[in-house]
Amino acid sequence: MQRSHSQRRRRRKRDQGSVEMNLAAMLDMAFQLLTFFILTFRPAPIEGQLSLNLPPPVPQTNVEANAKGGEGIDNVLAMETLHLHVVANDRGDVSELKVELNPIVQGRLDEGNIQRLDQKLHSMFAVKQIPFDRIQIAVDGRLRYGELMKIIDVCHRQRLPDGSAMQKISFSEVDVGATSNAK
Amino acid sequence: MSEHNSEKAEPNLTPLLDMVFQLITFFMLVINFKGASLDLSLKLPVLGSARPLERHGNLEPLLLNIDSTGQVKVQGKQVDVEQFITKEARFLKNQLKILGTPIENGELPVPVIVRADRSAPFHLVNHILKICQDQGYRNFSLSAMSREEKH
Repeated sequence: MQRSHSQRRRRRKRDQGSVEMNLAAMLDMAFQLLTFFILTFRPAPIEGQLSLNLPPPVPQTNVEANAKGGEGIDNVLAMETLHLHVVANDRGDVSELKVELNPIVQGRLDEGNIQRLDQKLHSMFAVKQIPFDRIQIAVDGRLRYGELMKIIDVCHRQRLPDGSAMQKISFSEVDVGATSNAK
Repeated sequence: MSEHNSEKAEPNLTPLLDMVFQLITFFMLVINFKGASLDLSLKLPVLGSARPLERHGNLEPLLLNIDSTGQVKVQGKQVDVEQFITKEARFLKNQLKILGTPIENGELPVPVIVRADRSAPFHLVNHILKICQDQGYRNFSLSAMSREEKH
């Protein structure tokens, strides 16, 4: 008897003190919010950047001298700018790539050709007497942007004599079609 | 008698609610509002040497989404590229004036992020770069994927 009385008193005390919230409505809302976030979730693509400083193009004084000079590494001594010439076909693929006046790539820029270009540039930059510190790429206007970026990527991998990466890369547009038509 | 003794089954919703709130918090933190300014339909070139952009200062870089036909989209809307870049450059110059930052040799100290489709012809991209150069932009960040995306 004594026990049941104390139990009753405890239950009454508990009934008076606790407030039971209806969580179902809040849970509904929370689930709606969660659904919205899941449906609109789109992870940002992992993008990299290639930073270039591109001042407006200025006439290069050593282009003509180089053209007269002929081919070979010996003729490009005392130069600061290494010139690449890229010719594209009508589909926008690389059809020819010259380093100075030497054709290095003929046909599409596949893995093998990229490696050949890399080796060529590497060998040119390895010659300490040649103070190349920048690369200028004369690009056929028809070339696809993705193909140009592959070439820029190879150029960017080259190391200067001080060990730093090649940063000074610029490009200019050449209308090869118009030039060949004019001839 | 049995009706009187039967108790209502009330599941404890508190842990469930806690978990849902944690999930909501996670999604709110990772939501990317800047993603709206990126045109995710573009197929960017793949470059091994591409690195994340290091930001200097509080000024927002100029973002250009260039599709394969040379059209520029801003927040999903196609814009006249010349008008857009001119307007942005003018706005930036006013901002720099207010901040008291000098513009040296007419060069704007803010990079242009070029997100161009890999199949866009170079002459179209170059035309847009020239417009930027005419307005005083000198630093360009060419966007690329570090590796090929899997679909």
